[in-house]
Amino acid sequence: MKGVIFNLLEDAVIRQHGLLAWESLLEMAGLEGAYTSLGSYPDSEVVRLVEAASTALGVSQSEVLRWFGRSAIPLLHERYELFFTPHRNAQSFVTSVNDIIHPEVRKLYAGAGCPHFHFHDLEDGRTGVAYKSPRQMCRLAHGFIEGAADHFGDAVEIEHLACMLDGLPVCRLALRWSR
Amino acid sequence: MKHEAIPLALDETGAIERLERLVQREREGRLQAEAIAERGLRELYDSQVRLALLQRITDCANRSNDFSDAIGEVLKEICEHMSWAFGTAYRVDGGGTAVSCDAWFTAEPAPLFPLVEVTRERTFAHGEGLPGRVLRDGHPHWIDEAELAASFCRKVQAATCGIRSACGFPVMIGEEIVCVMEFFSRTAMIDKDAILLTVTQAATQLARVIERERARAALLHDALHDAMTGLPNRTLLDERSRAAFERLPESREGLAVLVIDLDGFKAINDKYGHHAGDIVLIETARRFDGVITARVGGRRRSDQPSWRATLARVGGDEFVVVLDALPDQVIARDLSGALIDALKAPIQVADEFVNVGLSIGIAHSGTGYISVEQLRQDADLAMYEAKAGGHGGVVTFSEALGSERRNRMALENELRDAIREKQFTLYYQPIFALATRPGEAERLRGFEALIRWNHPDRGLVEPGRFIPAAEAGGLIVFIGDWVLRQACNAMARLHADLSVRGLKPNELPYISINIAPQQFLQPTFSSHVQRVLLETGVPPELVRLEVTEGVAIIDPDQTRQVLEQVRSWGVKTSLDDFGTGYSSLSYLQNLPFDTLKIDRSFIASMDDPKSRKIIRAILDLASNLNLSVVAEGIETGEQGASLREMGCEFGQGYHLGRPLDETSAFALVWPEGTASAA
Repeated sequence: MKGVIFNLLEDAVIRQHGLLAWESLLEMAGLEGAYTSLGSYPDSEVVRLVEAASTALGVSQSEVLRWFGRSAIPLLHERYELFFTPHRNAQSFVTSVNDIIHPEVRKLYAGAGCPHFHFHDLEDGRTGVAYKSPRQMCRLAHGFIEGAADHFGDAVEIEHLACMLDGLPVCRLALRWSR
Repeated sequence: MKHEAIPLALDETGAIERLERLVQREREGRLQAEAIAERGLRELYDSQVRLALLQRITDCANRSNDFSDAIGEVLKEICEHMSWAFGTAYRVDGGGTAVSCDAWFTAEPAPLFPLVEVTRERTFAHGEGLPGRVLRDGHPHWIDEAELAASFCRKVQAATCGIRSACGFPVMIGEEIVCVMEFFSRTAMIDKDAILLTVTQAATQLARVIERERARAALLHDALHDAMTGLPNRTLLDERSRAAFERLPESREGLAVLVIDLDGFKAINDKYGHHAGDIVLIETARRFDGVITARVGGRRRSDQPSWRATLARVGGDEFVVVLDALPDQVIARDLSGALIDALKAPIQVADEFVNVGLSIGIAHSGTGYISVEQLRQDADLAMYEAKAGGHGGVVTFSEALGSERRNRMALENELRDAIREKQFTLYYQPIFALATRPGEAERLRGFEALIRWNHPDRGLVEPGRFIPAAEAGGLIVFIGDWVLRQACNAMARLHADLSVRGLKPNELPYISINIAPQQFLQPTFSSHVQRVLLETGVPPELVRLEVTEGVAIIDPDQTRQVLEQVRSWGVKTSLDDFGTGYSSLSYLQNLPFDTLKIDRSFIASMDDPKSRKIIRAILDLASNLNLSVVAEGIETGEQGASLREMGCEFGQGYHLGRPLDETSAFALVWPEGTASAA
């Protein structure tokens, strides 16, 4: 996992819960906690931090990830405004993830294992998103999408049609955008 | 300097706040450091990718010999690199117009179809549209979304394809714009500096390909074209005519070769220098090209199946036209006539106007030919046949001509032997002053030297049977020289004898010697005559050189010079076969002749009033120009008497005396009864 994810998590926690909360989470997870955006760290460390947050806040890990994703968007906007400027709405921004955001990530971190999101039109007019990753962080994606809607002032309804967490091979989300 | 302790927060809350600020500063410092590092990494990555792109484009440019190969790959590389929707290119034609070279790239052909279709065969004039503006200004142009929607000439298609921006770049060689590249994107083109850097370098590589392509084309052109006239050369002609021969249908008809030789070209070269010769060749090529282009083009316009023509310069003054897919043999003949007509108007060389004629030989393909080279040889042969006629013109090869040629070749070989083996001999036909009164005897005035070939198998052969072959084969120069020397020698001997016997110089007979055009026009001819006169000791005033009108036609100026020169030594000049050729009064007036010889054909048809009128006209003319006249071929006493009545002073012919060998002929000189003493 790229260090920037840890940094975003740290920022999100500190913004909402204060500087010491992050320190507490690191302690609970038994981690050193020196993360720089340029480094790479074991996926397990994120998992342990999410577990710790789940325990501390008394919410599910999925909820933690979703909250993290949603909170991360404004932080991302601060750091990487250039990804946002070409877009006028959240849908456009979200669908650029494979073509623009992840290629940019790869510019910084050669060999970054970015997940691929397959976007397609569903019969009922919604946008389908298929996601498959060994990290199984569909809830983080869910949160990112909500955060994007917040950022652009759009509304989105997200339905999990299928989930890897239920033992299925692929996550499938359905999005209904509205302004 | 006074040292004071830095104040520390003493209370716990104050300490925590300060520590938190410290942590916050550290965090911000780290974020800044990361941002700096990320920017560096991104720039490094971008430049590596750009370098890799340019490396690929350079590799492609190095590999490609052909612009059309390279442009497709370059467009693809740039579009993929920039994530642009569509890229295309235009070549700049001679008129300064951007012409689509139908090279384009899009990763998504289906959605881009409307824009690709409206673009791929477009031509943009100077200043028109995006390519035209690049062409006009010589620098890149950018079109943003607003302009695209407002004034872009392909705005409908661009909108349909979701295009938001476009740019155009010139490809330059020096100051010349040789190509324009045009790109379309579905997003705004923001980082113009990076785009400029990349596309400009790609354009430089493309320009290298075009430069190489041009250099190769120039080399190839030079290798296959005549540098002076710009026409295809022998190599290209061979290539095209072989290909055309291979393509012939089962009937093997439809291919014609025209071999064209300029008449009188050498004289221009000799007289005015090679530069003048070059001007004549260039002008000739230009006129030929004009005639051929008009004819081939004319066919095309009428939408008929068109024939093709390749005009080539294959040697000094030799041109060849290969006509391909010819529906009718008449076309070759008509074209030849048109080529001859095209050269009728004189060509200006410096301050002079010169004329050249054409001898054209045509050969048509047929089942008898197994190679195009044979066809060429036959056309050559026909051309020589046309040239042998003396006045140029067109001859189409025929089987008869072929066998005639073969016979002539055999004859030529025999003639070479004859020259080596000295098989020639001279006969002498007496020339008389015609009797003024019936019963009066004609007085012998001279002899015409006539060659005979003492063939080892065939006996004596008349000149008509071998002189044409000798002329065609260039042997006439050797034979003519032999005749000149031999006749002068014989005359010198005769005069020595006669002088010993007391004949007065004014009673001595003269010798008339035929000079062939080729022999006469040799640059060394007059000095050669002078040498023969000296060496043989024959009195110059008793030598008459007979030339035909052909000589004067080929090169009037040189003819005049030579005639004047030999006359300055006392030699007389005689115009032979008068009335059969051009008989142009202008040259007759300008050329210094002493004598006209009326052609035998007029004498033979003297019963015809028309012939008599002509003879009378010739006699009047000669009288006005102060020329003496000899009538040839007098076969009856009536002819002789009539001629005398009409005022013709001299004559020769079977009626007066047949050609005889030297001994018999010279015996005629002796007064009655003394002949046996010889």
